[in-house]
Amino acid sequence: MAEFDLAIIGAGPAGMAAAVTADKAGLRVALLDEQPRPGGQIYRNVSQASADRVRVLGADYALGRGLTTALAESGVQHIHGAVVWAIEDGFRLSYTANGTAAQVSARRVLIATGALERPLPIPGWTLPGVMTAGAAQILLKGSGIVPRQAVLAGSGPLIYLVAAQMVRAGVPPLALVETQSTRDMIGALRHMPGALRGWRGLAKGLGLIRELRRAGVKRFTGADRLKVEGMDRAEALCFRAGGEDHRIACETVLLHHGVVPNTQVARSIGVSHRWSSAQQTFTPVLDAWGGTDRPGLFIAGDGAGISGAMVAEIAGRLAALKLAEEAGHLGISERDRRAAPLLRARARELAIRPFLDAAYPPYPGALRPDDDTLICRCEEVTAGEIRQTATLGCLGPNQAKSFTRAGMGPCQGRYCGLTVTAILSQTTGQSPDETGYYRIRPPLKPVTLAELAAMAETGATNPEGE
Amino acid sequence: MRRYSAFAIAREAARYHQGWERAWASPEPKKSYDAIIVGAGGHGLATAFYLGKNFGITNVAVIEKGWLGGGNTGRNTTIIRSNYLQDASAAIYEKARGLYETMSQDLNYNVMFSPRGVIMLAQTHHEVRGYQRTAHANALQGVKTEFISPARVKEIVPIINLDGPRYPVLGGLWQARGGTARHDAVAWGYARACSDMGMDIIQKTEVTGVRKENGAVVGVETSRGFIGTKKLGIVVAGHSGVLADMAGFRLPIESVALQALVSEPIKPCMDCVVMANTVHGYMSQSDKGEMVIGGGADGYNNYTQRGSFHHIEETVRALVETFPMISRLKQLRQWGGIVDMTGDRSPILSKTPVEGVFINCGWGTGGFKAIPGSGWGFAELMARGYSPLTAEFGLNRFKEGRFIDESVAAGVAH
Ligand SMILES: Cc1cc2nc3c(=O)[nH]c(=O)nc-3n(C[C@H](O)[C@H](O)[C@H](O)COP(=O)(O)OP(=O)(O)OC[C@H]3O[C@@H](n4cnc5c(N)ncnc54)[C@H](O)[C@@H]3O)c2cc1C
Ligand SMILES: Cc1cc2nc3c(=O)[nH]c(=O)nc-3n(C[C@H](O)[C@H](O)[C@H](O)COP(=O)(O)OP(=O)(O)OC[C@H]3O[C@@H](n4cnc5c(N)ncnc54)[C@H](O)[C@@H]3O)c2cc1C
Repeated sequence: MAEFDLAIIGAGPAGMAAAVTADKAGLRVALLDEQPRPGGQIYRNVSQASADRVRVLGADYALGRGLTTALAESGVQHIHGAVVWAIEDGFRLSYTANGTAAQVSARRVLIATGALERPLPIPGWTLPGVMTAGAAQILLKGSGIVPRQAVLAGSGPLIYLVAAQMVRAGVPPLALVETQSTRDMIGALRHMPGALRGWRGLAKGLGLIRELRRAGVKRFTGADRLKVEGMDRAEALCFRAGGEDHRIACETVLLHHGVVPNTQVARSIGVSHRWSSAQQTFTPVLDAWGGTDRPGLFIAGDGAGISGAMVAEIAGRLAALKLAEEAGHLGISERDRRAAPLLRARARELAIRPFLDAAYPPYPGALRPDDDTLICRCEEVTAGEIRQTATLGCLGPNQAKSFTRAGMGPCQGRYCGLTVTAILSQTTGQSPDETGYYRIRPPLKPVTLAELAAMAETGATNPEGE
Repeated sequence: MRRYSAFAIAREAARYHQGWERAWASPEPKKSYDAIIVGAGGHGLATAFYLGKNFGITNVAVIEKGWLGGGNTGRNTTIIRSNYLQDASAAIYEKARGLYETMSQDLNYNVMFSPRGVIMLAQTHHEVRGYQRTAHANALQGVKTEFISPARVKEIVPIINLDGPRYPVLGGLWQARGGTARHDAVAWGYARACSDMGMDIIQKTEVTGVRKENGAVVGVETSRGFIGTKKLGIVVAGHSGVLADMAGFRLPIESVALQALVSEPIKPCMDCVVMANTVHGYMSQSDKGEMVIGGGADGYNNYTQRGSFHHIEETVRALVETFPMISRLKQLRQWGGIVDMTGDRSPILSKTPVEGVFINCGWGTGGFKAIPGSGWGFAELMARGYSPLTAEFGLNRFKEGRFIDESVAAGVAH
């Protein structure tokens, strides 16, 4: 089994920045990521993207080149196409790459697995033709595919970005149906002083909205009662806005209402998590460097709480400095000297967050879905069935799972977890922290029995990949 | 409590299942009870149930630190069989198997007992001799099992590969009325029946101490205060050592981790339970279609640094040889439980040095199958001070050298 000073899971901005920083400090670093190329969500495929695609995706996207180039020139062992499916104390990571399972061991681990889109369960969201805005963006970044006749619905800055990218690609969306209300915006104004410190982000957002207006994309705000209509596939998005019912015929519905930390890896090894009411999700409990309550285990990037790509990159560097210091490669004063400008930059970048969180809250209708709406897609469990388990005396998601099988399918609760906790806590009156979350167990992603059976042999040798 | 019936289902179907009432109450603890059971796993709940049903003792509380059925009862691979070697074991496991046959009716709760048959594969010559011996012993005990040929094994399990290079199949010990049941439902069914008899099932409450006066128990300290009782049944599986420590005695028990895993669901392909004891692989197909696979217990002194996946890997490597078709199946989840093992691999159902305190533990890797029999016998022991079912399983056997040795013939996980 290959041994490293530091293993990093996830090659997004956080993971890449941490890897390069730690490598420079003299640590032997392995960087594992399931994608074929580095970049993570925002910089997906950036090292290969054509000039035309970069024009469509925008200047922020091109920024990723700096990181991927630095990574390529470093001594970091980047094991790409590697799905990490187990982490054990010690630390030992099990992963599958090229259909073969293998392991690496490392004295320290940084989890930089980023964010997942918050599921948006509304009537009809499981029909073919419905996907998330992020998925549409992945198609665009990875393969240059843009959905036709699409409506974007939900809330959050990413919707504007995806819409603008579609406009630039020559296939504008039919409409933007936004669920945040004027009330949310007014409530967010008290965070305006902070937001003004992060004026660059604000200006970028306003720029996107202008770009959409110029392209003639229709916008609805304060939308409610979202519902996808169709028999075998999505045919229309129905909603209520401005006191009127609307129906927009379309081929594709792209849903999105924010992203939430991907906490699977951290939870599977027992890191403590707390409910964040500002972000309406669980976040890991961390110190200022990203250290968890387990020695040698750090988290950086959106997996630590949603704060965007710039903060992810900074947090990656900070964690790497602390890890290098702990490994004896860096003195404490040198660590702090290098950390000081990073901490200032992070504070600046974070200034706009409270405003964004308040202005673009998740769609309330999806946090309290109707009884008939499917929550767990894998096992086809409805919101009503989850409520029923609470009425029958069930206290938390792990018990609801035994009652209904919610969370027992191929995704193992990645998509229904937050919704199930929310519904149970609304029904029982307990807080989300008291209600708890699914117990996450390996494999984090399914692995075939043949891979598992063959692991002993491959695990002993060096991992494939370079 | 309203009975579950075909009419009830029809009635509820007509009103979108809105009318089902809570299956059990979540009461506030009273000041004291005639008997307290610690641990709302299958064994604890079954004990409470038979205290009420067979002995009319219903002023009973079952105290559980998590939620009922959330311990090993909710994570085992649910194999039910009674093909043990020693007479005392065969008696209690066969009693349990018999009670499983009618449990759904007795509890008015569908526990999905499925007597689909259990095969233990003989894959070495040593195992062939061992299982033939067990079959003979079972014949004398009145437990129906038979030793079958490889050809018959293939008839029952068409997907099996008989002549694997490392682990050929040389025969099998077949118990046609063994099988599986739905683990959660067993706990829920007992809980509902206990609640119906007026017993209190107190969840999310941890027992933190045992209060004694003059060598006899007077109650328990809990996270919700003191609760009095003169009869205390400790039924906490992996935590037995901790509770014994609170009461002031010691147990000859070691705790080890036992694991299981489940694959993605596929069409029905195997309608019985197959146990490959040499390689510690135990497989059945769930109603949903997943292959449920149990592994072996972790070794006691594991310095290999390979950690928990080591065992699963070995199990799967061997099983893939015996069942080549499963190799492309995806594993969805793997989990484990801490099980309580005794030196002779038999349970402890016993009085203790503390008057009024009784202990039921040591079921190790295979106690799910015993739940109703254990509850029956342990309730009798608590109510009357003696039960023929539990007589041989006392703590004293370790001092007196009267082991009920199941470690050779049935040192089998699950
Ligand atoms: C779908 C989606 C699209 C987004 N698009 C944009 C955008 O266009 N612009 C923008 O500003 N922000 C965007 N965001 C937000 C942005 O992704 C984050 O702010 C930023 O990328 C966070 O960086 P990170 O390093 O924390 O994680 P990420 O960039 O998400 O990187 C995490 C990496 O870890 C990998 N990974 C996760 N789990 C495992 C595992 N078990 N084994 C191996 N690898 C694993 C992932 O594949 C990914 O490559 C998007 C978010 C999502 C979810
Ligand atoms: C992976 C695995 C597979 C298995 N497969 C099989 C199989 O195929 N067939 C079979 O027959 N057996 C099997 N077993 C064994 C079987 O699961 C156990 O023997 C059986 O479930 C034990 O039941 P129990 O009621 O004694 O314990 P549990 O169900 O563990 O209940 C004990 C309860 O006590 C509670 N408790 C502990 N401490 C306290 C406290 N201080 N205060 C209050 N409550 C407390 C716990 O929370 C728990 O709920 C398997 C076990 C495992 C782990």
